[in-house]
Amino acid sequence: MTPGSGDGTNAGQSPSAEPETPAAPVSRSDELRAQIAASEPERTVRCSIPSRLEMLTAVDQLTQSILQHIDCDDDSAAAIATSVIEAGTNAIQHGHRTRSEAPVDFTFHLGEHVIDIWVEDRGPGFDLDEALAIDPTSPAGLLDSHGRGIFIMRAMMDQVDFEIRDGEGVVVHLRKRYRPHTAS
Amino acid sequence: MKVRQEIVGGAAIVRLSGQLMGGPEAETVRETIQTLLEQGHRNLLVDLGEVSWVNSTGLGLLISSHLLAANHAGVLRLVGMSKRIRDILTVTRLDTVFQVYDDEQTALASFQV
Repeated sequence: MTPGSGDGTNAGQSPSAEPETPAAPVSRSDELRAQIAASEPERTVRCSIPSRLEMLTAVDQLTQSILQHIDCDDDSAAAIATSVIEAGTNAIQHGHRTRSEAPVDFTFHLGEHVIDIWVEDRGPGFDLDEALAIDPTSPAGLLDSHGRGIFIMRAMMDQVDFEIRDGEGVVVHLRKRYRPHTAS
Repeated sequence: MKVRQEIVGGAAIVRLSGQLMGGPEAETVRETIQTLLEQGHRNLLVDLGEVSWVNSTGLGLLISSHLLAANHAGVLRLVGMSKRIRDILTVTRLDTVFQVYDDEQTALASFQV
Protein backbone atom coordinates (compact mmCIF):
# COMPACT_ATOMS: atom_id res chain seq x y z
CA MET A 1 0.00 0.00 0.00
CA THR A 2 1.20 3.48 -0.78
CA PRO A 3 1.58 5.47 2.39
CA GLY A 4 -1.24 7.93 2.83
CA SER A 5 -3.39 6.33 0.15
CA GLY A 6 -6.81 4.73 0.47
CA ASP A 7 -9.59 5.51 2.82
CA GLY A 8 -7.64 4.98 6.00
CA THR A 9 -6.09 7.45 8.33
CA ASN A 10 -2.47 7.57 9.35
CA ALA A 11 -3.24 7.30 13.04
CA GLY A 12 -0.26 6.15 15.04
CA GLN A 13 2.34 7.79 12.80
CA SER A 14 4.34 10.63 14.14
CA PRO A 15 4.31 13.78 11.97
CA SER A 16 8.09 13.65 12.13
CA ALA A 17 8.34 10.06 10.89
CA GLU A 18 11.24 9.50 8.53
CA PRO A 19 9.94 9.53 4.95
CA GLU A 20 12.39 6.81 3.84
CA THR A 21 11.01 4.35 6.38
CA PRO A 22 7.31 5.01 6.30
CA ALA A 23 5.06 2.96 8.47
CA ALA A 24 2.17 1.32 6.71
CA PRO A 25 -0.93 3.44 6.94
CA VAL A 26 -3.38 2.25 9.52
CA SER A 27 -6.98 2.26 8.48
CA ARG A 28 -9.76 2.97 10.93
CA SER A 29 -10.86 -0.66 10.77
CA ASP A 30 -7.30 -1.83 11.33
CA GLU A 31 -6.81 0.60 14.17
CA LEU A 32 -9.97 -0.39 15.98
CA ARG A 33 -9.28 -4.06 15.45
CA ALA A 34 -5.70 -3.72 16.69
CA GLN A 35 -6.77 -1.75 19.75
CA ILE A 36 -9.38 -4.31 20.65
CA ALA A 37 -7.05 -7.26 20.11
CA ALA A 38 -4.34 -5.63 22.21
CA SER A 39 -6.61 -4.63 25.05
CA GLU A 40 -8.80 -7.73 25.18
CA PRO A 41 -6.94 -10.66 23.64
CA GLU A 42 -9.01 -13.05 25.71
CA ARG A 43 -12.09 -11.88 23.82
CA THR A 44 -10.58 -12.11 20.33
CA VAL A 45 -10.67 -15.10 17.98
CA ARG A 46 -8.90 -15.19 14.63
CA CYS A 47 -8.76 -17.57 11.71
CA SER A 48 -7.40 -17.45 8.19
CA ILE A 49 -8.47 -19.56 5.22
CA PRO A 50 -7.33 -19.92 1.63
CA SER A 51 -9.70 -18.50 -0.98
CA ARG A 52 -11.80 -21.56 -1.57
CA LEU A 53 -15.55 -21.53 -1.06
CA GLU A 54 -15.54 -24.95 0.59
CA MET A 55 -13.33 -23.53 3.36
CA LEU A 56 -16.30 -21.40 4.43
CA THR A 57 -17.72 -24.55 5.96
CA ALA A 58 -14.92 -24.46 8.55
CA VAL A 59 -15.53 -20.75 9.15
CA ASP A 60 -19.21 -21.44 9.70
CA GLN A 61 -18.41 -24.16 12.22
CA LEU A 62 -16.12 -21.77 14.08
CA THR A 63 -18.79 -19.07 13.99
CA GLN A 64 -21.40 -21.48 15.34
CA SER A 65 -19.06 -22.48 18.17
CA ILE A 66 -18.42 -18.85 19.08
CA LEU A 67 -22.12 -17.99 19.01
CA GLN A 68 -22.88 -20.95 21.22
CA HIS A 69 -20.07 -19.97 23.58
CA ILE A 70 -21.43 -16.44 24.00
CA ASP A 71 -24.98 -17.76 24.44
CA CYS A 72 -26.29 -15.78 21.48
CA ASP A 73 -30.02 -15.85 20.79
CA ASP A 74 -31.17 -17.91 17.80
CA ASP A 75 -32.34 -15.06 15.56
CA SER A 76 -29.13 -13.08 16.00
CA ALA A 77 -27.01 -16.21 15.60
CA ALA A 78 -28.61 -17.03 12.25
CA ALA A 79 -28.11 -13.44 11.06
CA ILE A 80 -24.49 -13.30 12.20
CA ALA A 81 -23.54 -16.67 10.74
CA THR A 82 -25.19 -15.82 7.42
CA SER A 83 -23.45 -12.44 7.27
CA VAL A 84 -20.02 -13.91 8.02
CA ILE A 85 -20.52 -16.37 5.18
CA GLU A 86 -21.58 -13.53 2.86
CA ALA A 87 -18.51 -11.46 3.74
CA GLY A 88 -16.31 -14.50 3.14
CA THR A 89 -18.06 -15.28 -0.13
CA ASN A 90 -17.48 -11.73 -1.35
CA ALA A 91 -13.81 -11.88 -0.38
CA ILE A 92 -13.27 -15.17 -2.22
CA GLN A 93 -15.39 -14.59 -5.30
CA HIS A 94 -14.97 -10.87 -5.86
CA GLY A 95 -11.84 -10.06 -3.90
CA HIS A 96 -9.48 -12.83 -4.87
CA ARG A 97 -11.33 -14.43 -7.81
CA THR A 98 -8.87 -17.05 -9.09
CA ARG A 99 -6.17 -16.41 -6.45
CA SER A 100 -6.98 -19.40 -4.30
CA GLU A 101 -3.71 -19.01 -2.38
CA ALA A 102 -4.63 -15.52 -1.15
CA PRO A 103 -5.75 -15.66 2.49
CA VAL A 104 -9.03 -14.38 3.86
CA ASP A 105 -8.72 -13.35 7.51
CA PHE A 106 -11.55 -13.42 10.03
CA THR A 107 -11.34 -11.66 13.40
CA PHE A 108 -14.12 -12.02 15.97
CA HIS A 109 -14.31 -9.79 19.02
CA LEU A 110 -16.72 -10.96 21.67
CA GLY A 111 -18.05 -7.98 23.56
CA GLU A 112 -20.74 -7.67 26.20
CA HIS A 113 -23.84 -8.68 24.24
CA VAL A 114 -22.27 -7.37 21.06
CA ILE A 115 -20.05 -9.10 18.53
CA ASP A 116 -17.71 -7.42 16.05
CA ILE A 117 -16.31 -9.31 13.09
CA TRP A 118 -13.73 -8.20 10.54
CA VAL A 119 -13.29 -10.03 7.24
CA GLU A 120 -10.25 -9.01 5.23
CA ASP A 121 -9.11 -9.87 1.73
CA ARG A 122 -6.17 -8.78 -0.44
CA GLY A 123 -8.19 -8.06 -3.56
CA PRO A 124 -8.38 -4.96 -5.74
CA GLY A 125 -11.46 -3.55 -4.04
CA PHE A 126 -14.72 -2.55 -5.67
CA ASP A 127 -17.00 0.40 -6.28
CA LEU A 128 -18.99 0.60 -3.04
CA ASP A 129 -21.46 3.18 -4.35
CA GLU A 130 -22.25 0.97 -7.30
CA ALA A 131 -22.72 -2.04 -5.06
CA LEU A 132 -24.97 -0.13 -2.67
CA ALA A 133 -27.12 1.09 -5.55
CA ILE A 134 -28.24 -2.46 -6.34
CA ASP A 135 -31.71 -3.27 -5.02
CA PRO A 136 -32.18 -7.03 -5.27
CA THR A 137 -35.74 -6.68 -4.00
CA SER A 138 -36.87 -4.53 -6.95
CA PRO A 139 -39.03 -6.31 -9.56
CA ALA A 140 -36.05 -6.64 -11.91
CA GLY A 141 -33.60 -7.39 -9.11
CA LEU A 142 -35.64 -10.25 -7.70
CA LEU A 143 -34.86 -12.45 -10.69
CA ASP A 144 -31.23 -11.39 -11.00
CA SER A 145 -28.97 -14.18 -9.82
CA HIS A 146 -26.28 -11.76 -8.58
CA GLY A 147 -25.86 -8.77 -6.30
CA ARG A 148 -27.31 -9.87 -2.96
CA GLY A 149 -24.25 -10.25 -0.72
CA ILE A 150 -23.94 -6.72 0.63
CA PHE A 151 -27.70 -6.32 0.79
CA ILE A 152 -27.98 -9.43 2.98
CA MET A 153 -25.24 -8.28 5.36
CA ARG A 154 -26.78 -4.82 5.74
CA ALA A 155 -30.24 -6.27 6.31
CA MET A 156 -29.09 -8.73 8.96
CA MET A 157 -26.47 -6.82 10.94
CA ASP A 158 -26.72 -3.64 13.03
CA GLN A 159 -23.68 -2.09 11.39
CA VAL A 160 -21.67 -2.88 8.25
CA ASP A 161 -18.61 -0.83 7.27
CA PHE A 162 -16.25 -1.21 4.36
CA GLU A 163 -12.61 -0.19 4.31
CA ILE A 164 -11.55 -0.23 0.67
CA ARG A 165 -7.81 0.21 0.42
CA ASP A 166 -7.32 1.37 -3.11
CA GLY A 167 -6.16 -1.86 -4.69
CA GLU A 168 -4.69 -3.32 -1.51
CA GLY A 169 -7.62 -5.22 -0.08
CA VAL A 170 -10.97 -4.76 1.58
CA VAL A 171 -11.93 -5.04 5.23
CA VAL A 172 -15.59 -5.58 6.03
CA HIS A 173 -16.60 -4.83 9.59
CA LEU A 174 -19.81 -6.40 10.89
CA ARG A 175 -21.39 -5.59 14.22
CA LYS A 176 -24.47 -6.96 15.92
CA ARG A 177 -25.94 -6.77 19.37
CA TYR A 178 -27.63 -9.89 20.68
CA ARG A 179 -29.68 -11.13 23.58
CA PRO A 180 -28.50 -13.99 25.73
CA HIS A 181 -30.14 -17.17 24.46
CA THR A 182 -31.19 -18.14 27.95
CA ALA A 183 -33.14 -14.87 28.24
CA SER A 184 -34.97 -15.29 24.93
CA MET B 1 -22.83 -30.68 -1.83
CA LYS B 2 -24.54 -33.95 -2.63
CA VAL B 3 -27.34 -34.14 -5.17
CA ARG B 4 -29.83 -36.98 -5.40
CA GLN B 5 -32.95 -37.22 -7.48
CA GLU B 6 -36.13 -39.15 -7.06
CA ILE B 7 -39.32 -39.34 -9.08
CA VAL B 8 -42.46 -39.41 -6.95
CA GLY B 9 -45.76 -39.43 -8.78
CA GLY B 10 -45.70 -36.57 -11.23
CA ALA B 11 -42.85 -34.70 -9.59
CA ALA B 12 -39.08 -34.89 -9.68
CA ILE B 13 -37.49 -34.29 -6.31
CA VAL B 14 -33.93 -32.96 -6.21
CA ARG B 15 -32.52 -33.64 -2.75
CA LEU B 16 -29.54 -31.52 -1.75
CA SER B 17 -27.28 -31.95 1.25
CA GLY B 18 -24.33 -29.93 2.48
CA GLN B 19 -23.96 -26.23 1.73
CA LEU B 20 -25.43 -24.46 -1.29
CA MET B 21 -22.72 -21.93 -2.06
CA GLY B 22 -21.85 -21.89 -5.73
CA GLY B 23 -18.65 -23.22 -7.21
CA PRO B 24 -18.17 -26.37 -9.29
CA GLU B 25 -20.25 -28.55 -6.99
CA ALA B 26 -23.24 -26.31 -7.40
CA GLU B 27 -23.04 -26.76 -11.16
CA THR B 28 -24.13 -30.35 -10.53
CA VAL B 29 -27.41 -28.98 -9.19
CA ARG B 30 -28.00 -26.92 -12.31
CA GLU B 31 -27.07 -29.83 -14.58
CA THR B 32 -29.42 -32.16 -12.70
CA ILE B 33 -32.31 -29.74 -13.09
CA GLN B 34 -31.48 -29.15 -16.75
CA THR B 35 -31.45 -32.90 -17.40
CA LEU B 36 -34.76 -33.45 -15.62
CA LEU B 37 -36.38 -30.70 -17.67
CA GLU B 38 -34.97 -32.13 -20.89
CA GLN B 39 -36.40 -35.50 -19.87
CA GLY B 40 -39.83 -33.88 -19.75
CA HIS B 41 -40.27 -33.37 -16.03
CA ARG B 42 -42.16 -30.15 -15.36
CA ASN B 43 -42.84 -30.34 -11.63
CA LEU B 44 -39.57 -29.94 -9.76
CA LEU B 45 -39.23 -29.94 -5.99
CA VAL B 46 -35.89 -28.98 -4.45
CA ASP B 47 -35.49 -30.50 -1.00
CA LEU B 48 -33.24 -28.34 1.20
CA GLY B 49 -33.84 -30.37 4.34
CA GLU B 50 -30.22 -31.42 4.61
CA VAL B 51 -28.70 -28.11 3.54
CA SER B 52 -27.10 -26.34 6.49
CA TRP B 53 -26.69 -22.95 4.82
CA VAL B 54 -27.09 -21.06 1.57
CA ASN B 55 -25.10 -18.02 0.53
CA SER B 56 -25.96 -15.37 -2.07
CA THR B 57 -24.32 -17.44 -4.80
CA GLY B 58 -26.47 -20.40 -3.81
CA LEU B 59 -29.53 -18.16 -3.97
CA GLY B 60 -28.45 -17.18 -7.48
CA LEU B 61 -28.33 -20.84 -8.40
CA LEU B 62 -31.89 -21.34 -7.14
CA ILE B 63 -33.06 -18.30 -9.12
CA SER B 64 -31.40 -19.42 -12.35
CA SER B 65 -32.89 -22.90 -11.83
CA HIS B 66 -36.31 -21.33 -11.29
CA LEU B 67 -35.95 -19.38 -14.55
CA LEU B 68 -34.71 -22.48 -16.35
CA ALA B 69 -37.78 -24.39 -15.22
CA ALA B 70 -40.07 -21.54 -16.28
CA ASN B 71 -38.44 -21.50 -19.72
CA HIS B 72 -39.40 -25.15 -20.05
CA ALA B 73 -42.98 -24.43 -18.91
CA GLY B 74 -42.14 -26.04 -15.60
CA VAL B 75 -42.26 -25.00 -11.97
CA LEU B 76 -39.64 -25.30 -9.24
CA ARG B 77 -40.70 -25.30 -5.61
CA LEU B 78 -38.77 -25.59 -2.36
CA VAL B 79 -39.30 -27.76 0.68
CA GLY B 80 -37.72 -28.52 4.04
CA MET B 81 -35.58 -25.50 4.70
CA SER B 82 -34.17 -24.51 8.07
CA LYS B 83 -35.02 -21.24 9.78
CA ARG B 84 -31.63 -19.88 8.76
CA ILE B 85 -32.36 -20.46 5.07
CA ARG B 86 -35.93 -19.24 5.40
CA ASP B 87 -34.63 -16.03 6.98
CA ILE B 88 -32.37 -15.31 4.03
CA LEU B 89 -35.28 -15.87 1.63
CA THR B 90 -37.41 -13.49 3.66
CA VAL B 91 -34.77 -10.76 3.84
CA THR B 92 -34.17 -10.91 0.09
CA ARG B 93 -37.92 -11.24 -0.57
CA LEU B 94 -37.27 -14.35 -2.59
CA ASP B 95 -40.12 -15.87 -0.60
CA THR B 96 -42.28 -13.95 -3.08
CA VAL B 97 -40.60 -15.74 -5.99
CA PHE B 98 -40.50 -19.30 -4.69
CA GLN B 99 -43.35 -21.38 -3.36
CA VAL B 100 -41.98 -22.81 -0.13
CA TYR B 101 -43.41 -25.79 1.76
CA ASP B 102 -42.69 -27.14 5.20
CA ASP B 103 -43.31 -30.77 4.37
CA GLU B 104 -42.89 -32.91 1.30
CA GLN B 105 -46.42 -34.30 1.25
CA THR B 106 -47.96 -30.84 1.02
CA ALA B 107 -45.40 -29.79 -1.57
CA LEU B 108 -46.13 -32.82 -3.76
CA ALA B 109 -49.86 -32.26 -3.40
CA SER B 110 -49.41 -28.70 -4.65
CA PHE B 111 -48.43 -30.04 -8.06
CA GLN B 112 -51.75 -31.86 -8.39
CA VAL B 113 -53.82 -28.66 -8.31
